[in-house]
Amino acid sequence: MNKPELYPIPKQDVDLYSIPRSDHPALIVDNEQFVRAAFAESATQGFEGLFRLYYTPLCSHALRFVYRQEVAEDIVSEVFYQFWKNEGYTSIQHTYRSYLYAAVRHRAYNYLRDELTGSRVLLPLDAAMLTNAEESPQTIIEYDETVQRLEKVIHELPTQCQRVFLMSRFESRKNQEIANELNLSLKTVEAHISRALRQLRRVFFFNLLFGFIATQGMQAGACLFL
Amino acid sequence: METIINKTVLYAYFSGTVTPVQKKMIETWLAEADNQAQYYQWLHEWELTHLQTAPDWQPAFARTAARLNSPFGVIQPDEEPTRKNWFWRGGNAWLVAASLALLLGGWLFVDEIRYENVQTGFGETRALTLPDGSTLTLNANSSVRFDRFGFGTELPDFLSAIQPSRRVYLTGEADFRVRHLSNHLRFVVITPKGLNITVLGTEFTVLGRARKTQVALRSGKVELTLAQKSEQPPLTMQPGDVVILEPTGQFARRRISNPEAATAWKNHRFTFEKTSLGEIAALIEENYGLRVTIASPELAARTVSGSFPAYNADDMLKLMADLLQINYTRDSDRVLFTD
Repeated sequence: MNKPELYPIPKQDVDLYSIPRSDHPALIVDNEQFVRAAFAESATQGFEGLFRLYYTPLCSHALRFVYRQEVAEDIVSEVFYQFWKNEGYTSIQHTYRSYLYAAVRHRAYNYLRDELTGSRVLLPLDAAMLTNAEESPQTIIEYDETVQRLEKVIHELPTQCQRVFLMSRFESRKNQEIANELNLSLKTVEAHISRALRQLRRVFFFNLLFGFIATQGMQAGACLFL
Repeated sequence: METIINKTVLYAYFSGTVTPVQKKMIETWLAEADNQAQYYQWLHEWELTHLQTAPDWQPAFARTAARLNSPFGVIQPDEEPTRKNWFWRGGNAWLVAASLALLLGGWLFVDEIRYENVQTGFGETRALTLPDGSTLTLNANSSVRFDRFGFGTELPDFLSAIQPSRRVYLTGEADFRVRHLSNHLRFVVITPKGLNITVLGTEFTVLGRARKTQVALRSGKVELTLAQKSEQPPLTMQPGDVVILEPTGQFARRRISNPEAATAWKNHRFTFEKTSLGEIAALIEENYGLRVTIASPELAARTVSGSFPAYNADDMLKLMADLLQINYTRDSDRVLFTD
């Protein structure tokens, strides 16, 4: 690994970069094809490619659900780990990207729901998703709506409450630390955090109650308005 | 009927600014498996341009690989201070297990531990400060690697075997502002084609991609050597020089009036001087990860001059179409330019 080429470019591409370019229509291999080629070499190389391409954006995406840096990273690492250990990469039907994003969203969503509602719904095995990376359109939309509702709820919190909540959760600071830094009493900090969590719980309450009706009753609703 | 779901609509949807009717249409569109693949591709691209965090992939990769290789499923402890508490709280059993994992991990991942790696995605630029106080800005689809320990500083005695150095491995394009250190330690940039740029304290831009290796110097002084021709005397560049490494291994030097133009990408500007569409296509491919096809050699040879802003791939494509009065079609990551 001790090579200066950090971004391994397939060797034959070097010649293809010459001009005029019209002689060589497909110049840069699609990232996914590149990862496939790496998997043909070895699983380790394939996974190095997958981590390089997707780890950072996946963590950023998971964060939109869980709002906690370590949890987001753990979720993404766990998805990669399972994918590797169970050799899920050998039976990918669509793209690695679709699988990884679907799995991370699935886990992140369930993590937050379980955390906020206190319920422990058993996760359907990721293995079940391996052969079938397809999510129902309703589920995909529900995930995206959840992200947007969370954003909205946090955005609408009073400024101080929002600051305390993000320090506590996103930056994983201790309540006492936050109290000292913002010159608040510990009680106030705790009150801010529980207020924020209460608001967030309503997101899920709303989801569970109206999410179903909203998706199912959309057409009916539209008819009524017209 | 042609679908009215496109990237713009999906981006608006990810940002939460579509109408309920559009959302319903997206839901219908998602019923197709192929469209889901398209959806995740666009989500990925959107996420890359709206990153909320940028954790390093390499330690995570190393930990995951170590976890697979270890029969106990021991995870290599992280070097971040926030996680150290967790590490120490575990007690002695943990300490022993973790030391073993660290040894194993250290042996398997010498490079990951020794080097800090920073990479940018397509369409992303990033500024960073090196341990010696020098700064660099990475252009899109580029990476740098440098020593995590002892970069520009003396090491403790027991590590005296490691010579202090300031070596940066670059793939892609970056702009450097190098600090002169009191110990006169040389700063060296190494590109994939074996070009070594030795610096004392200066500002310059390096392009080291498969297509082209080029150095533009704004101020100060740098020396160029080739790893494969180390017996040759180094070429000393003057401010305002641009040197291109020819495929034959020769240096081609020319003067430019405006060396700042080479760093215009830092402000999302692109400066062209009779640059052919063919070259610009290569630029689009490197910076935005698109696959560009040009309909004819005549079209590829047409040139553009001037300085233009472009914040993303679509800006750039529109700009080319307007400037050259040509058409383009884009289908996800494929682009075709036609007369």
